[in-house]
Amino acid sequence: MKFFSQSFLYDDPWSIVSLAFFLRYPNPYASHVVSCDVISRVQTPSGSLVTTRLILKRGALPRWAPQGIISRAESWVLEESEVDPEAKTVRCRTRNLDHVKVMQVEESILFRQTPEGQVFKTLQTTEARIRSGFGWGLTKRIETHGLNRFKANVQRSREGVSLILDLLRQSRLQPMTLGGAEHLSMEAVNRNHAENDGRATSKVGVWTRLKSWIQP
Amino acid sequence: MADSLSAECTPLKQKYDSCFNAWFEGYLDPAIANNTSAEERAAYSKMKADEYQAKCGQIWEKYRECVQKAVKKRGLEKLLEQAREEFALKEPPPPPTQFKK
Repeated sequence: MKFFSQSFLYDDPWSIVSLAFFLRYPNPYASHVVSCDVISRVQTPSGSLVTTRLILKRGALPRWAPQGIISRAESWVLEESEVDPEAKTVRCRTRNLDHVKVMQVEESILFRQTPEGQVFKTLQTTEARIRSGFGWGLTKRIETHGLNRFKANVQRSREGVSLILDLLRQSRLQPMTLGGAEHLSMEAVNRNHAENDGRATSKVGVWTRLKSWIQP
Repeated sequence: MADSLSAECTPLKQKYDSCFNAWFEGYLDPAIANNTSAEERAAYSKMKADEYQAKCGQIWEKYRECVQKAVKKRGLEKLLEQAREEFALKEPPPPPTQFKK
């Protein structure tokens, strides 16, 4: 078993980092994400939001991997998260559902608000456990490979969140320059909801504006 | 917004995501003060839950139905059930001291 742990401090408040985290797919740093679905979402009596997502990721096998080690280089990943807006934390756990004998990667992420002098920042802590039960003298090699890949992916994943964060930040700081985009996004929203129930969105939030950038 | 696992569900997913994301933005920034009483807090979170239900409840049901069908079709049902049983977020968040450098 290999263990990985890392912390990262975002300069932004918890709510915007958490929003960016939930909006992180798609982004150019996550082109391996094929699909992402919410399969359950409930609010607990205490007000937390618990979400389960099923994600399909495309992966590449290392060159030394035996032929037929897995039937296809895709993997289903289950992500379970809990958002607590009162405690200002997001806990998120992911793990792969298939190829688990070859390699099981379990990742835990915690975002929490943390005071830095006069301002609130957001601390992200990432932990991962990488385990292989493959045997044939390859267990160690598979685990080391998994760990190296995970390290590289943590970096990419953070760049993805930072990119979304940038977009969110810009759209919050410069509402004036977004006049055009806001107008466009309202049109897009209306189009989107036209066949739904015709109810227009009453408030144009950052998300709606951001959406118009991602999906012009 | 990423695609759904079934192309058929992608339009529903995008509608649902739009609805959820707009609601979620407000949910993350509760419009209540830090010193609010427990009852007031509970009332507020009930209000947010009702708001979500009213705004996104219908589209969520449609999207969920579609995904459930697709999950069945791809034979993922059992895998999911098993995983969710052993994988539920059970333990409370670790104490903050653990994260000091």
